[in-house]
Amino acid sequence: MSNASIPDPELADPVRPANNTPWLTVHMEHRFHHNGAGFHLHLAFSAYAQRTVVFGPSGSGKSSLLRAIAGLLKPDVAAIEFHGTTVCKTIGAGGQPRIFIPAEKRRVGLVMQSPAVFPHLTASGNVAFAMREKDRAAQKEKITQLLEIVEAESLAARWPRELSGGQLQRIAIARTLAAEPTILLLDEPFAALDAPSRQRVSTNLHHWARKRGIPVLTVTHNLEEVFAAGDEVLTMEEGRVMAQGTPERVLTMQRERLLQVLLHAAPAPVREEAHRSSENDRAG
Amino acid sequence: MDTVALLLTLRLALVTTVILLLIAVPLACWLAFTGSRAKVFVQAVCALPIVLPPTVLGFYLLVALGPRTAFGRALTHLLGHPLAFSFAGLVVGSVIYSLPFAVQPLVTGFAAVDRSMLDAATTLGSGRWDRIRRVVLPLSRGSLLTASVLSFAHTVGEFGVVLMIGGNLPGATRTLSIALYDQVQDFQYAQANRTALFLLAICLVALMLLYSLRPESRPRSSDLV
Repeated sequence: MSNASIPDPELADPVRPANNTPWLTVHMEHRFHHNGAGFHLHLAFSAYAQRTVVFGPSGSGKSSLLRAIAGLLKPDVAAIEFHGTTVCKTIGAGGQPRIFIPAEKRRVGLVMQSPAVFPHLTASGNVAFAMREKDRAAQKEKITQLLEIVEAESLAARWPRELSGGQLQRIAIARTLAAEPTILLLDEPFAALDAPSRQRVSTNLHHWARKRGIPVLTVTHNLEEVFAAGDEVLTMEEGRVMAQGTPERVLTMQRERLLQVLLHAAPAPVREEAHRSSENDRAG
Repeated sequence: MDTVALLLTLRLALVTTVILLLIAVPLACWLAFTGSRAKVFVQAVCALPIVLPPTVLGFYLLVALGPRTAFGRALTHLLGHPLAFSFAGLVVGSVIYSLPFAVQPLVTGFAAVDRSMLDAATTLGSGRWDRIRRVVLPLSRGSLLTASVLSFAHTVGEFGVVLMIGGNLPGATRTLSIALYDQVQDFQYAQANRTALFLLAICLVALMLLYSLRPESRPRSSDLV
Protein backbone atom coordinates (compact mmCIF):
# COMPACT_ATOMS: atom_id res chain seq x y z
CA MET A 1 0.00 0.00 0.00
CA SER A 2 2.67 2.44 -0.99
CA ASN A 3 2.07 6.14 -1.49
CA ALA A 4 -1.40 6.03 0.03
CA SER A 5 -2.58 9.45 1.12
CA ILE A 6 -1.79 9.93 4.77
CA PRO A 7 -3.89 12.43 6.72
CA ASP A 8 -2.05 15.57 7.74
CA PRO A 9 -0.31 14.62 11.05
CA GLU A 10 -0.68 18.20 12.26
CA LEU A 11 -4.42 17.70 12.20
CA ALA A 12 -4.49 14.13 13.45
CA ASP A 13 -6.41 14.58 16.65
CA PRO A 14 -9.29 12.19 16.49
CA VAL A 15 -11.59 11.41 19.35
CA ARG A 16 -10.19 8.05 20.30
CA PRO A 17 -11.52 5.45 22.71
CA ALA A 18 -9.45 4.36 25.73
CA ASN A 19 -8.26 1.12 24.06
CA ASN A 20 -7.19 3.14 20.99
CA THR A 21 -8.58 0.50 18.60
CA PRO A 22 -10.09 1.75 15.37
CA TRP A 23 -13.50 0.34 14.43
CA LEU A 24 -12.61 0.81 10.79
CA THR A 25 -9.29 0.69 8.98
CA VAL A 26 -9.16 1.35 5.26
CA HIS A 27 -6.22 1.10 2.90
CA MET A 28 -7.40 1.04 -0.67
CA GLU A 29 -6.62 1.93 -4.23
CA HIS A 30 -9.08 1.78 -7.07
CA ARG A 31 -9.01 3.15 -10.57
CA PHE A 32 -12.27 4.01 -12.33
CA HIS A 33 -12.27 4.26 -16.11
CA HIS A 34 -15.02 6.11 -17.86
CA ASN A 35 -14.96 7.24 -21.50
CA GLY A 36 -11.19 7.39 -21.53
CA ALA A 37 -11.03 9.54 -18.38
CA GLY A 38 -9.82 8.02 -15.13
CA PHE A 39 -10.40 8.62 -11.44
CA HIS A 40 -8.01 7.28 -8.86
CA LEU A 41 -9.25 6.51 -5.36
CA HIS A 42 -6.27 6.25 -3.05
CA LEU A 43 -7.08 6.13 0.65
CA ALA A 44 -5.54 5.20 3.97
CA PHE A 45 -7.18 6.02 7.28
CA SER A 46 -8.53 4.59 10.51
CA ALA A 47 -11.78 5.68 12.16
CA TYR A 48 -11.94 5.76 15.95
CA ALA A 49 -14.87 7.97 16.89
CA GLN A 50 -18.32 6.43 17.16
CA ARG A 51 -19.61 9.24 14.91
CA THR A 52 -17.24 9.87 12.04
CA VAL A 53 -18.00 12.13 9.10
CA VAL A 54 -16.43 12.08 5.65
CA PHE A 55 -16.64 15.59 4.23
CA GLY A 56 -15.76 16.62 0.72
CA PRO A 57 -17.03 18.02 -2.55
CA SER A 58 -19.12 15.99 -5.01
CA GLY A 59 -16.99 13.64 -7.05
CA SER A 60 -14.27 13.30 -4.42
CA GLY A 61 -14.92 9.55 -4.06
CA LYS A 62 -16.95 9.54 -0.84
CA SER A 63 -19.74 7.28 -2.10
CA SER A 64 -17.24 4.88 -3.68
CA LEU A 65 -15.49 4.64 -0.33
CA LEU A 66 -18.77 3.62 1.33
CA ARG A 67 -19.48 1.08 -1.42
CA ALA A 68 -16.04 -0.46 -0.89
CA ILE A 69 -16.56 -0.67 2.89
CA ALA A 70 -20.00 -2.23 2.37
CA GLY A 71 -18.59 -4.78 -0.09
CA LEU A 72 -20.43 -3.48 -3.17
CA LEU A 73 -17.17 -2.39 -4.80
CA LYS A 74 -14.17 -4.68 -5.09
CA PRO A 75 -11.13 -2.37 -4.96
CA ASP A 76 -8.06 -3.06 -7.10
CA VAL A 77 -5.91 -3.11 -3.97
CA ALA A 78 -7.32 -3.08 -0.46
CA ALA A 79 -7.05 -3.99 3.16
CA ILE A 80 -10.26 -3.19 5.04
CA GLU A 81 -10.84 -4.13 8.65
CA PHE A 82 -13.86 -3.85 10.95
CA HIS A 83 -12.86 -3.83 14.63
CA GLY A 84 -9.60 -5.53 13.67
CA THR A 85 -11.26 -8.24 11.55
CA THR A 86 -10.27 -8.27 7.88
CA VAL A 87 -13.22 -8.16 5.49
CA CYS A 88 -11.21 -7.45 2.33
CA LYS A 89 -7.56 -8.03 1.55
CA THR A 90 -5.72 -8.15 -1.76
CA ILE A 91 -2.10 -8.62 -2.66
CA GLY A 92 -0.28 -6.31 -5.03
CA ALA A 93 -1.76 -4.16 -7.77
CA GLY A 94 -4.64 -5.91 -9.51
CA GLY A 95 -4.27 -8.99 -7.32
CA GLN A 96 -7.24 -11.20 -6.71
CA PRO A 97 -8.85 -10.80 -3.29
CA ARG A 98 -7.34 -13.12 -0.76
CA ILE A 99 -10.12 -12.32 1.61
CA PHE A 100 -13.41 -10.89 0.44
CA ILE A 101 -16.40 -11.16 2.74
CA PRO A 102 -19.40 -10.63 0.44
CA ALA A 103 -21.61 -7.62 1.09
CA GLU A 104 -24.56 -9.73 2.28
CA LYS A 105 -22.42 -11.20 5.06
CA ARG A 106 -20.72 -8.01 6.30
CA ARG A 107 -23.71 -6.76 8.30
CA VAL A 108 -23.00 -3.23 7.20
CA GLY A 109 -26.04 -0.95 7.08
CA LEU A 110 -25.84 1.35 4.09
CA VAL A 111 -28.25 4.20 3.37
CA MET A 112 -27.53 5.66 -0.03
CA GLN A 113 -28.58 9.01 -1.50
CA SER A 114 -31.08 7.13 -3.63
CA PRO A 115 -33.42 5.44 -1.13
CA ALA A 116 -34.01 2.35 -3.36
CA VAL A 117 -37.21 1.45 -1.54
CA PHE A 118 -38.68 -1.74 -3.04
CA PRO A 119 -41.75 -0.64 -5.05
CA HIS A 120 -43.50 -4.02 -4.74
CA LEU A 121 -43.61 -3.84 -0.93
CA THR A 122 -45.41 -1.45 1.41
CA ALA A 123 -43.39 0.76 3.76
CA SER A 124 -43.69 -1.83 6.55
CA GLY A 125 -42.92 -4.63 4.06
CA ASN A 126 -39.73 -2.80 3.18
CA VAL A 127 -38.75 -2.44 6.83
CA ALA A 128 -39.50 -6.14 7.41
CA PHE A 129 -37.34 -7.20 4.43
CA ALA A 130 -34.27 -8.00 6.48
CA MET A 131 -35.85 -8.77 9.83
CA ARG A 132 -34.56 -11.81 11.56
CA GLU A 133 -37.57 -12.21 13.86
CA LYS A 134 -39.79 -15.11 12.83
CA ASP A 135 -42.63 -14.09 15.12
CA ARG A 136 -45.12 -11.76 13.39
CA ALA A 137 -46.04 -9.88 16.56
CA ALA A 138 -42.37 -9.21 17.33
CA GLN A 139 -41.85 -8.07 13.73
CA LYS A 140 -44.78 -5.70 13.93
CA GLU A 141 -43.56 -4.22 17.20
CA LYS A 142 -40.08 -3.69 15.81
CA ILE A 143 -41.42 -2.09 12.62
CA THR A 144 -43.40 0.38 14.76
CA GLN A 145 -40.32 1.20 16.86
CA LEU A 146 -38.13 1.77 13.82
CA LEU A 147 -40.73 3.87 12.03
CA GLU A 148 -40.97 6.00 15.18
CA ILE A 149 -37.23 6.69 15.00
CA VAL A 150 -37.63 8.14 11.51
CA GLU A 151 -41.00 9.74 12.36
CA ALA A 152 -42.88 7.69 9.77
CA GLU A 153 -45.35 5.65 11.88
CA SER A 154 -48.28 6.85 9.78
CA LEU A 155 -46.67 5.59 6.56
CA ALA A 156 -46.55 1.89 7.51
CA ALA A 157 -49.32 0.75 5.15
CA ARG A 158 -48.45 3.09 2.30
CA TRP A 159 -46.92 2.02 -1.02
CA PRO A 160 -43.67 3.63 -2.17
CA ARG A 161 -45.42 5.24 -5.19
CA GLU A 162 -47.56 7.22 -2.70
CA LEU A 163 -44.56 8.62 -0.80
CA SER A 164 -42.45 11.75 -1.29
CA GLY A 165 -38.65 11.69 -1.60
CA GLY A 166 -38.19 12.55 2.07
CA GLN A 167 -40.66 9.88 3.19
CA LEU A 168 -38.92 7.26 1.03
CA GLN A 169 -35.61 8.23 2.63
CA ARG A 170 -37.12 7.71 6.11
CA ILE A 171 -38.33 4.22 5.10
CA ALA A 172 -34.88 3.39 3.70
CA ILE A 173 -33.27 4.38 7.01
CA ALA A 174 -35.74 2.32 9.07
CA ARG A 175 -35.20 -0.66 6.76
CA THR A 176 -31.44 -0.44 7.23
CA LEU A 177 -31.75 -0.36 11.02
CA ALA A 178 -34.07 -3.40 10.90
CA ALA A 179 -31.20 -5.52 9.54
CA GLU A 180 -29.34 -4.97 12.85
CA PRO A 181 -26.08 -3.79 11.28
CA THR A 182 -22.82 -3.75 13.23
CA ILE A 183 -21.62 -0.68 11.30
CA LEU A 184 -23.79 2.06 9.83
CA LEU A 185 -22.82 3.94 6.66
CA LEU A 186 -24.91 6.95 5.69
CA ASP A 187 -24.50 8.65 2.32
CA GLU A 188 -26.23 12.05 2.49
CA PRO A 189 -29.14 10.29 4.17
CA PHE A 190 -31.11 13.40 5.10
CA ALA A 191 -30.71 15.33 1.86
CA ALA A 192 -34.40 14.99 1.00
CA LEU A 193 -35.65 16.06 4.47
CA ASP A 194 -36.51 19.59 5.57
CA ALA A 195 -34.17 21.16 8.15
CA PRO A 196 -36.22 20.54 11.35
CA SER A 197 -37.02 16.92 10.36
CA ARG A 198 -33.40 16.36 9.42
CA GLN A 199 -32.24 17.43 12.84
CA ARG A 200 -34.80 15.31 14.73
CA VAL A 201 -34.32 12.15 12.62
CA SER A 202 -30.53 12.54 12.79
CA THR A 203 -30.66 12.88 16.59
CA ASN A 204 -32.95 9.82 16.92
CA LEU A 205 -30.75 7.80 14.60
CA HIS A 206 -27.49 8.64 16.38
CA HIS A 207 -29.15 7.98 19.75
CA TRP A 208 -30.27 4.55 18.48
CA ALA A 209 -26.76 3.76 17.24
CA ARG A 210 -24.99 5.03 20.37
CA LYS A 211 -27.27 2.95 22.61
CA ARG A 212 -26.21 -0.18 20.71
CA GLY A 213 -22.55 0.79 20.34
CA ILE A 214 -22.86 0.88 16.55
CA PRO A 215 -20.30 3.18 14.90
CA VAL A 216 -21.66 5.52 12.22
CA LEU A 217 -19.79 6.83 9.18
CA THR A 218 -21.68 9.68 7.53
CA VAL A 219 -20.80 11.10 4.15
CA THR A 220 -21.79 14.68 3.47
CA HIS A 221 -20.88 17.86 1.71
CA ASN A 222 -23.04 19.83 4.12
CA LEU A 223 -20.91 21.76 6.60
CA GLU A 224 -23.71 21.98 9.15
CA GLU A 225 -24.03 18.20 9.17
CA VAL A 226 -20.32 17.78 9.87
CA PHE A 227 -20.74 19.49 13.22
CA ALA A 228 -24.09 17.84 13.93
CA ALA A 229 -23.12 14.25 13.11
CA GLY A 230 -19.40 13.99 13.66
CA ASP A 231 -17.04 13.62 16.61
CA GLU A 232 -14.29 13.13 14.07
CA VAL A 233 -14.09 14.30 10.48
CA LEU A 234 -12.11 13.22 7.45
CA THR A 235 -11.92 15.58 4.53
CA MET A 236 -11.63 14.09 1.05
CA GLU A 237 -10.59 15.66 -2.22
CA GLU A 238 -10.01 13.98 -5.56
CA GLY A 239 -10.03 10.50 -4.13
CA ARG A 240 -7.69 11.18 -1.20
CA VAL A 241 -8.07 11.86 2.50
CA MET A 242 -6.65 15.35 3.05
CA ALA A 243 -7.11 15.73 6.80
CA GLN A 244 -8.52 13.97 9.84
CA GLY A 245 -9.41 15.29 13.28
CA THR A 246 -12.13 17.00 15.27
CA PRO A 247 -14.51 19.06 13.11
CA GLU A 248 -13.35 22.35 14.65
CA ARG A 249 -9.66 21.78 13.99
CA VAL A 250 -9.97 20.23 10.55
CA LEU A 251 -12.44 22.74 9.20
CA THR A 252 -10.70 25.77 10.73
CA MET A 253 -7.45 24.69 9.12
CA GLN A 254 -9.21 24.07 5.85
CA ARG A 255 -10.83 27.52 5.98
CA GLU A 256 -7.43 29.14 6.51
CA ARG A 257 -5.92 27.21 3.63
CA LEU A 258 -8.79 28.28 1.40
CA LEU A 259 -8.28 31.92 2.44
CA GLN A 260 -4.58 31.64 1.60
CA VAL A 261 -5.41 30.30 -1.85
CA LEU A 262 -7.92 33.08 -2.43
CA LEU A 263 -5.53 35.76 -1.21
CA HIS A 264 -2.75 34.41 -3.36
CA ALA A 265 -4.96 34.85 -6.40
CA ALA A 266 -6.17 38.32 -5.33
CA PRO A 267 -4.68 41.66 -6.56
CA ALA A 268 -1.83 43.21 -4.51
CA PRO A 269 -3.93 45.95 -2.72
CA VAL A 270 -6.38 43.31 -1.46
CA ARG A 271 -3.50 41.16 -0.20
CA GLU A 272 -1.92 44.12 1.64
CA GLU A 273 -5.27 45.02 3.21
CA ALA A 274 -5.75 41.41 4.37
CA HIS A 275 -2.22 41.36 5.77
CA ARG A 276 -2.81 44.62 7.74
CA SER A 277 -6.13 43.27 9.02
CA SER A 278 -4.43 40.07 10.15
CA GLU A 279 -1.66 42.07 11.93
CA ASN A 280 -4.27 44.17 13.69
CA ASP A 281 -6.15 41.02 14.78
CA ARG A 282 -2.97 39.64 16.31
CA ALA A 283 -2.14 42.94 18.02
CA GLY A 284 -5.71 43.21 19.32
CA MET B 1 -62.76 -29.16 -35.45
CA ASP B 2 -60.33 -31.91 -34.45
CA THR B 3 -60.86 -31.78 -30.68
CA VAL B 4 -58.21 -34.45 -30.03
CA ALA B 5 -55.63 -32.30 -31.86
CA LEU B 6 -56.88 -29.22 -30.03
CA LEU B 7 -56.49 -30.80 -26.58
CA LEU B 8 -53.08 -32.18 -27.52
CA THR B 9 -51.97 -28.74 -28.72
CA LEU B 10 -53.13 -27.03 -25.52
CA ARG B 11 -51.49 -29.73 -23.38
CA LEU B 12 -48.24 -29.39 -25.32
CA ALA B 13 -48.29 -25.59 -25.04
CA LEU B 14 -48.97 -25.71 -21.31
CA VAL B 15 -46.31 -28.30 -20.48
CA THR B 16 -43.77 -26.52 -22.71
CA THR B 17 -44.48 -23.15 -21.08
CA VAL B 18 -44.03 -24.52 -17.56
CA ILE B 19 -40.77 -26.31 -18.44
CA LEU B 20 -39.53 -23.28 -20.36
CA LEU B 21 -40.06 -20.96 -17.40
CA LEU B 22 -38.20 -23.35 -15.11
CA ILE B 23 -35.25 -23.36 -17.51
CA ALA B 24 -35.43 -19.77 -18.73
CA VAL B 25 -35.57 -17.98 -15.35
CA PRO B 26 -32.15 -19.13 -14.08
CA LEU B 27 -30.67 -18.91 -17.58
CA ALA B 28 -31.95 -15.35 -18.06
CA CYS B 29 -30.68 -14.40 -14.59
CA TRP B 30 -27.23 -15.59 -15.53
CA LEU B 31 -27.33 -13.77 -18.87
CA ALA B 32 -28.62 -10.55 -17.28
CA PHE B 33 -26.04 -10.33 -14.50
CA THR B 34 -22.95 -12.25 -15.58
CA GLY B 35 -19.71 -10.69 -16.71
CA SER B 36 -18.53 -13.99 -18.20
CA ARG B 37 -16.96 -14.11 -21.65
CA ALA B 38 -19.17 -17.09 -22.47
CA LYS B 39 -22.23 -14.83 -22.33
CA VAL B 40 -22.16 -13.88 -26.03
CA PHE B 41 -21.93 -17.54 -27.09
CA VAL B 42 -24.79 -18.59 -24.79
CA GLN B 43 -26.90 -15.65 -25.99
CA ALA B 44 -26.31 -16.65 -29.61
CA VAL B 45 -27.19 -20.31 -28.93
CA CYS B 46 -30.39 -19.26 -27.12
CA ALA B 47 -31.42 -17.01 -30.02
CA LEU B 48 -30.57 -19.58 -32.71
CA PRO B 49 -34.10 -21.03 -33.02
CA ILE B 50 -35.36 -17.59 -34.15
CA VAL B 51 -33.28 -17.65 -37.33
CA LEU B 52 -32.80 -21.40 -37.86
CA PRO B 53 -35.34 -23.10 -40.19
CA PRO B 54 -37.58 -25.27 -37.95
CA THR B 55 -36.91 -28.24 -40.21
CA VAL B 56 -33.17 -27.98 -39.52
CA LEU B 57 -33.75 -27.99 -35.79
CA GLY B 58 -36.27 -30.83 -36.14
CA PHE B 59 -33.84 -32.85 -38.22
CA TYR B 60 -31.00 -32.53 -35.73
CA LEU B 61 -33.30 -33.40 -32.85
CA LEU B 62 -34.59 -36.40 -34.74
CA VAL B 63 -31.05 -37.60 -35.28
CA ALA B 64 -29.94 -36.81 -31.71
CA LEU B 65 -32.90 -38.55 -30.10
CA GLY B 66 -32.92 -41.51 -32.49
CA PRO B 67 -30.97 -44.80 -32.50
CA ARG B 68 -28.10 -43.31 -34.55
CA THR B 69 -26.52 -41.61 -31.53
CA ALA B 70 -25.33 -43.00 -28.21
CA PHE B 71 -27.43 -40.37 -26.43
CA GLY B 72 -30.55 -41.40 -28.35
CA ARG B 73 -29.91 -45.10 -27.67
CA ALA B 74 -29.35 -44.43 -23.96
CA LEU B 75 -32.53 -42.39 -23.80
CA THR B 76 -34.54 -45.10 -25.58
CA HIS B 77 -33.14 -47.68 -23.17
CA LEU B 78 -34.00 -45.47 -20.20
CA LEU B 79 -37.56 -44.66 -21.31
CA GLY B 80 -38.33 -48.01 -22.89
CA HIS B 81 -39.35 -46.31 -26.16
CA PRO B 82 -37.77 -43.83 -28.59
CA LEU B 83 -38.35 -40.18 -27.74
CA ALA B 84 -38.94 -39.27 -31.37
CA PHE B 85 -42.55 -39.64 -32.55
CA SER B 86 -43.87 -39.34 -28.98
CA PHE B 87 -45.46 -36.57 -26.95
CA ALA B 88 -42.32 -36.30 -24.79
CA GLY B 89 -40.28 -35.82 -27.97
CA LEU B 90 -42.64 -33.03 -29.03
CA VAL B 91 -42.12 -31.35 -25.65
CA VAL B 92 -38.33 -31.51 -26.02
CA GLY B 93 -38.53 -30.02 -29.52
CA SER B 94 -40.99 -27.32 -28.46
CA VAL B 95 -38.92 -26.31 -25.45
CA ILE B 96 -35.83 -25.83 -27.60
CA TYR B 97 -37.72 -24.13 -30.42
CA SER B 98 -39.52 -21.66 -28.10
CA LEU B 99 -36.51 -21.03 -25.81
CA PRO B 100 -35.69 -17.54 -27.20
CA PHE B 101 -39.29 -16.44 -26.76
CA ALA B 102 -38.98 -17.13 -23.03
CA VAL B 103 -35.37 -16.09 -22.49
CA GLN B 104 -35.27 -12.77 -24.38
CA PRO B 105 -38.11 -10.97 -22.49
CA LEU B 106 -36.78 -12.27 -19.18
CA VAL B 107 -33.22 -11.07 -19.84
CA THR B 108 -34.57 -7.64 -20.82
CA GLY B 109 -36.77 -7.49 -17.71
CA PHE B 110 -34.09 -8.68 -15.28
CA ALA B 111 -31.47 -6.32 -16.70
CA ALA B 112 -33.89 -3.41 -16.30
CA VAL B 113 -34.19 -3.91 -12.52
CA ASP B 114 -32.66 -0.86 -10.85
CA ARG B 115 -29.16 -1.75 -9.67
CA SER B 116 -29.66 0.26 -6.47
CA MET B 117 -32.53 -2.10 -5.49
CA LEU B 118 -30.18 -5.06 -5.76
CA ASP B 119 -27.46 -3.23 -3.81
CA ALA B 120 -29.97 -2.37 -1.09
CA ALA B 121 -31.11 -6.01 -0.84
CA THR B 122 -27.48 -7.16 -0.71
CA THR B 123 -26.53 -4.88 2.18
CA LEU B 124 -29.70 -6.05 3.96
CA GLY B 125 -28.19 -9.53 4.01
CA SER B 126 -29.91 -10.97 0.96
CA GLY B 127 -27.88 -13.58 -0.97
CA ARG B 128 -27.96 -14.11 -4.75
CA TRP B 129 -30.98 -16.44 -4.97
CA ASP B 130 -32.83 -14.53 -2.27
CA ARG B 131 -32.37 -11.33 -4.28
CA ILE B 132 -33.68 -13.05 -7.39
CA ARG B 133 -36.71 -14.45 -5.55
CA ARG B 134 -37.58 -11.39 -3.49
CA VAL B 135 -36.48 -8.48 -5.69
CA VAL B 136 -35.76 -9.44 -9.31
CA LEU B 137 -38.77 -11.69 -9.96
CA PRO B 138 -41.40 -9.44 -8.33
CA LEU B 139 -40.02 -6.43 -10.22
CA SER B 140 -40.06 -8.39 -13.51
CA ARG B 141 -43.67 -9.62 -13.40
CA GLY B 142 -44.37 -7.99 -16.77
CA SER B 143 -41.49 -9.86 -18.37
CA LEU B 144 -42.57 -13.15 -16.79
CA LEU B 145 -46.03 -12.65 -18.24
CA THR B 146 -44.60 -11.80 -21.67
CA ALA B 147 -42.34 -14.86 -21.61
CA SER B 148 -45.24 -17.14 -20.60
CA VAL B 149 -47.68 -15.83 -23.21
CA LEU B 150 -45.15 -15.80 -26.05
CA SER B 151 -43.96 -19.32 -25.20
CA PHE B 152 -47.54 -20.60 -25.08
CA ALA B 153 -48.65 -18.87 -28.31
CA HIS B 154 -45.49 -19.82 -30.17
CA THR B 155 -45.87 -23.50 -29.19
CA VAL B 156 -49.52 -23.48 -30.28
CA GLY B 157 -48.48 -22.25 -33.72
CA GLU B 158 -45.52 -24.61 -34.18
CA PHE B 159 -45.39 -26.70 -37.35
CA GLY B 160 -41.96 -27.54 -38.74
CA VAL B 161 -40.30 -28.94 -35.63
CA VAL B 162 -43.44 -30.79 -34.57
CA LEU B 163 -43.79 -32.45 -37.96
CA MET B 164 -40.13 -33.44 -38.13
CA ILE B 165 -39.82 -34.85 -34.64
CA GLY B 166 -43.38 -36.01 -33.96
CA GLY B 167 -44.58 -37.13 -37.33
CA ASN B 168 -48.34 -37.06 -37.63
CA LEU B 169 -49.76 -39.60 -35.20
CA PRO B 170 -53.38 -38.83 -34.30
CA GLY B 171 -53.80 -38.52 -30.52
CA ALA B 172 -50.07 -38.66 -29.89
CA THR B 173 -48.25 -36.04 -31.96
CA ARG B 174 -50.85 -34.56 -34.29
CA THR B 175 -51.28 -30.93 -33.22
CA LEU B 176 -53.75 -28.37 -34.62
CA SER B 177 -51.27 -26.89 -37.09
CA ILE B 178 -50.59 -30.36 -38.52
CA ALA B 179 -54.32 -31.11 -38.60
CA LEU B 180 -54.78 -27.91 -40.63
CA TYR B 181 -52.09 -29.03 -43.05
CA ASP B 182 -53.83 -32.43 -43.46
CA GLN B 183 -57.20 -30.78 -44.00
CA VAL B 184 -55.82 -28.60 -46.79
CA GLN B 185 -54.11 -31.65 -48.34
CA ASP B 186 -57.51 -33.40 -48.32
CA PHE B 187 -59.28 -30.32 -49.82
CA GLN B 188 -61.44 -29.96 -46.69
CA TYR B 189 -61.36 -26.17 -46.88
CA ALA B 190 -64.35 -25.54 -44.61
CA GLN B 191 -62.73 -27.55 -41.81
CA ALA B 192 -59.35 -26.00 -42.54
CA ASN B 193 -60.92 -22.57 -42.30
CA ARG B 194 -62.37 -23.35 -38.86
CA THR B 195 -59.03 -24.73 -37.61
CA ALA B 196 -57.11 -21.73 -38.98
CA LEU B 197 -59.59 -19.31 -37.44
CA PHE B 198 -59.30 -21.07 -34.10
CA LEU B 199 -55.49 -20.92 -34.17
CA LEU B 200 -55.70 -17.26 -35.12
CA ALA B 201 -58.11 -16.58 -32.25
CA ILE B 202 -55.89 -18.36 -29.68
CA CYS B 203 -52.85 -16.30 -30.69
CA LEU B 204 -54.80 -13.04 -30.88
CA VAL B 205 -56.41 -13.54 -27.46
CA ALA B 206 -53.03 -14.47 -25.94
CA LEU B 207 -51.43 -11.30 -27.28
CA MET B 208 -54.39 -9.12 -26.23
CA LEU B 209 -54.13 -10.63 -22.75
CA LEU B 210 -50.44 -9.84 -22.71
CA TYR B 211 -50.85 -6.21 -23.76
CA SER B 212 -53.81 -5.58 -21.45
CA LEU B 213 -52.04 -6.93 -18.36
CA ARG B 214 -48.72 -5.18 -18.85
CA PRO B 215 -48.45 -2.17 -16.53
CA GLU B 216 -47.42 0.26 -19.26
CA SER B 217 -50.64 -0.44 -21.18
CA ARG B 218 -52.77 0.85 -18.31
CA PRO B 219 -53.85 4.48 -18.64
CA ARG B 220 -51.94 6.93 -16.46
CA SER B 221 -53.97 9.13 -14.16
CA SER B 222 -52.98 12.17 -16.25
CA ASP B 223 -54.47 10.51 -19.36
CA LEU B 224 -57.84 10.21 -17.68
CA VAL B 225 -58.26 13.95 -17.07
